[in-house]
Amino acid sequence: MKEEIREKFGYLKRSIFHPFDGFYEIRFRKKGSTMLAVLLLMVFGILRCVEHQYTGFVINTNELEAMNSVSIFATTVLVLILFAVSNWTVTTLLNGSGNLPAIVTVLGYSLVPYMFGIIIKVFVSNFIILEEAMILNVVVYMGLIWSVFMLVAGLLTIHEYTFGKNAAAIFLTFVAAIIIVFIGMLFFTLIEQMVGFIVSVAQEMIRRM
Amino acid sequence: MNKKIKRIISITFVFILLMLPVKVSASDGSSYVYDGYIYDLWGNVKESPATFQLERTINVDNMGGSKLGSVDDVCTSKDGRIFLVDSTESRIFVLDENGGLLANLKLMRNADNKIALDEAGNQIMLTAPEGVFVHEKNRELYVADTGAGRILVLDLDNYSLKRIIGRPENLTGATQFKPSKITVDLADRIYVVVQSSYEGIIELTADGSFSGYYGVNTPRVSLIDYFWKSLASDEQKAQMSKTYAPAFNNIALDGEGFVMAVTYDTSAADMVFRLNSKGENVLREEGNTLVVGEIWSLHGDDQGSRFVDIAVTDYGTYALIDRAHGRIFLYNFDGELLNVFGTVGNLKGQFKDPSGIAWLGDKLVVSDKTLKCAYIMTPTEFGRAVLDGNRFYYNGKWDEALVHFEKAVKLNVNYDAAYSGIGKNYLMKNEYKKAMEYFKLGQNRMFYSKAYNGYRSEMLEKYFPLVMVIFIALIGWMVFSEIRYHRKGGKKK
Repeated sequence: MKEEIREKFGYLKRSIFHPFDGFYEIRFRKKGSTMLAVLLLMVFGILRCVEHQYTGFVINTNELEAMNSVSIFATTVLVLILFAVSNWTVTTLLNGSGNLPAIVTVLGYSLVPYMFGIIIKVFVSNFIILEEAMILNVVVYMGLIWSVFMLVAGLLTIHEYTFGKNAAAIFLTFVAAIIIVFIGMLFFTLIEQMVGFIVSVAQEMIRRM
Repeated sequence: MNKKIKRIISITFVFILLMLPVKVSASDGSSYVYDGYIYDLWGNVKESPATFQLERTINVDNMGGSKLGSVDDVCTSKDGRIFLVDSTESRIFVLDENGGLLANLKLMRNADNKIALDEAGNQIMLTAPEGVFVHEKNRELYVADTGAGRILVLDLDNYSLKRIIGRPENLTGATQFKPSKITVDLADRIYVVVQSSYEGIIELTADGSFSGYYGVNTPRVSLIDYFWKSLASDEQKAQMSKTYAPAFNNIALDGEGFVMAVTYDTSAADMVFRLNSKGENVLREEGNTLVVGEIWSLHGDDQGSRFVDIAVTDYGTYALIDRAHGRIFLYNFDGELLNVFGTVGNLKGQFKDPSGIAWLGDKLVVSDKTLKCAYIMTPTEFGRAVLDGNRFYYNGKWDEALVHFEKAVKLNVNYDAAYSGIGKNYLMKNEYKKAMEYFKLGQNRMFYSKAYNGYRSEMLEKYFPLVMVIFIALIGWMVFSEIRYHRKGGKKK
């Protein structure tokens, strides 16, 4: 068991520093762990809350009195889940060989550099002045770029795409995400109207009886 | 028993006395207490006591029988005289600080009290003047005689005509010489605002010859316009409406001799200007909000504040009067919002079409064109604390400033500018830890960063030996591990 966990983390590290190799092993030799990826997603959501609250005063312009950690967590994680689902729908149509667990794994693993960026930012920002904030931002952006690179490389590997097709798939992913959000909103509005109708019918019945 | 009843009765009386409504009255028996507020960093309204209250109203009753058509501009002198410009009746009223009429100017007289005549032999009468400026240095009163297109320079003490500045012969550009507002700086340069001039403020030398246009008022360019213009051909461009630079609408001089100007043109990128010698805007905007007045639009066609006049104290605190909402905005030298108060309305103390604002010592004089009156406002206890705090801070008297800012905080615990003010004074006294605490309360990140910089180097100095020991130990460990690694023949454990 311990050995297994160690191996999982070993491949996490490998996929950070050698994304193509690492994600190949994860996808085709079952070296990855979707559980670990989901855990990383959760940790990322929590980290966003921590970032909101504990970034040093100098660069933290959030209104802390009005902070809502549940909404920050939910929006962060939901956006990522939305990305995973819409990428899955698109790549299924475009002959991608990756399944949903594989996509979630890539997504979770590739968040790690950005998470390190956030941790460094939260810690260091408590000890800086305004003039030094730019250097810190560079560190965070480096983490972000690394993460995006990992994500692109990972998706390319698990779906066995060429670079151009991968780019097109990612673009279509955003389109699909917008459609999903639209349908979701439509669905909820209809449900709301339906519930309203049932409630009013029920009220009518109660009043008449 | 009897004693007990007495006690109960006396306690009831004390309560009744306490509960009696306290009438807040100004010195002439009128009362108008404003509701003030400020904006915090996130644009939330935080209620605050108003910094000013109405002391008295000057209207036609004070004018000694003359008609009062409108009040278009107001100016004050250091000895407490108030100059009101009536453009409709073409008069200038001079009043003392209690509203008593001192003089009523329309027909100009020269030094030996004879009626002044121009070259053609006509009497010189004011024709729809719009602005007036007191030049303390030369004891002169500059009147922008807009209707006649000239500037009249009067003696400040006996109001006799000293000279007339007409349209300069070397004036270039499309701007008509219709002086509306005037300011004269310490080097006797005359700055003339012409309403709707897109070329800038006219700058004249002391003898009245044209020396150039002054001030840059950049228009706001919308991306959509930019996109269509980039597509259009030359012929199409010629048909499109041109984007002109917005005009400056009013002007004042601050304590350091910088020209401050305002514009109420909706297309202008900035609304308040502090112009340097090149005519660029160097206004300090280091508060929690930008110097734009109202932040939220109240309804759809509300396009924000329209500043018609600005009044600057010699310690850099300035008041802006907003025509659209009838509000007075008070900012300090750093651009921190100190207070907002005033409303539109017909009641005493409210505004209909405010036209001018001026400082009379610590008091404010605000004129209203439509209500045909001017209000003299005195600082409230809170306002006095705020103004004095800023004055002492500006003049480098940290301890006195602290006293006043602390009083302001006592009167209003939600007051960002006072917390920030306390912090600034502690920062100047090198008490970084305290300064940081107060900047945090005042949400002032820029100054917090300055204070933290000081605090951090203090800490580094204090714990320098410890830091050094850790650093050397780290280096030592690295060297040691390298040596050990090589002793083992380059093999990893």
